[in-house]
Amino acid sequence: MGRAIAVHSYKGGTGKTVVSVNLAATYARKGKRVCLFDFDFRAPSLQIAFKSNPEYWLNDFFDGGIELRDTLVDVTSKFSMPSVFEVGLANPSSTATRQILTKDQKWEMKALQRLLTAKDELLDKRKIDYLIMDTSPGIAFSSLNAIVASDLVLLVSTLDESDLDGTQRMIRDTYTSLEKKPVVLVNKVLIEQLSSEARRKSLSKEVEATFGVPPLEMIPCYCDVLGTSRRSIITLDKPEHPLAKQMDRISERIALER
Amino acid sequence: MTDKSSVQSISETLRDIRKSIDLLNRKMDLLLKERRSTSKSPLANNDTKLRAEGETSKFYGFDVVTLLSLPDHLRKTAMTISHLREASAGDIANETHRARAAESDYLNQLVTMGYLKKRRRGRTAYFYIEE
Repeated sequence: MGRAIAVHSYKGGTGKTVVSVNLAATYARKGKRVCLFDFDFRAPSLQIAFKSNPEYWLNDFFDGGIELRDTLVDVTSKFSMPSVFEVGLANPSSTATRQILTKDQKWEMKALQRLLTAKDELLDKRKIDYLIMDTSPGIAFSSLNAIVASDLVLLVSTLDESDLDGTQRMIRDTYTSLEKKPVVLVNKVLIEQLSSEARRKSLSKEVEATFGVPPLEMIPCYCDVLGTSRRSIITLDKPEHPLAKQMDRISERIALER
Repeated sequence: MTDKSSVQSISETLRDIRKSIDLLNRKMDLLLKERRSTSKSPLANNDTKLRAEGETSKFYGFDVVTLLSLPDHLRKTAMTISHLREASAGDIANETHRARAAESDYLNQLVTMGYLKKRRRGRTAYFYIEE
């Protein structure tokens, strides 16, 4: 049975979207059937990576007017993937991002039910192996819905003090309350902090002491990736890049997580 | 504005209107479809079967923020009945592995708070989320 993964972070700028897109592409490249959702309705960005302007957006599905299949963009042949690779995009228009602010709790409850229905349709009926949801940072309704609906939460944090503090509180106060134990990825680590095995182990222990879980992986800060356009998917465009190889490892480790 | 650009502008406006009408029609069709399938639901007929075979779990009655605002002991009960939708205290206790009497107390608290309703079938009280 397939799995739903929510990729979340406390703050913006942790590299969550780069992780989501590259993780989805890594699985798809390996022949897995993948669906990637842009769940950041406040600041959509996946339409840039996938160069797409679909007729219907995920917003239309959650509003209740449109079937899920009408919102999904099939990018399988675009990226020459061996198996299904689809994306569900959030509407980036100013009107749509403003409308999200007006949604009430009743709408959000219905949205969660629709998300769970979508998950069943994708994972059970359509045999999708991985549904990856790139969420809005922090405590946003859509992010909480994605977390509740997910089978695994991949929490991306940097080593910035405010990020560590906020992520720690989020794990303690929100994730625990929702009975979700996240898998932690530390991103944008200074290369010096990973320069030796001893330093790596020491940093890993510090992260574990802060979050209560050891990090799944610690990703160095790659300046060339930071400078790369959002249109580029590193694992596809530069498969020999160290980040692509790390995403490979991450994808394998996640597959083993239960 | 020239005649040609006026015609173009009107054309674009008409296209947008057409698209909006198509979208409204599709929404109406889908809403009617959802209403028809809800009225056929065994739960709507007060079926006591709590979970249909093969049916994967849904999540009813609570939004996430409301769940987070509940005290820990009530949240666990609320999350469980969100999946089951209608259950006795014993059914909830089987899922949470807490005492039946404790779950009965928590369920009654959720009724008092307005999140659940309660009805009797014989000697057993069933708690449910109202549509």
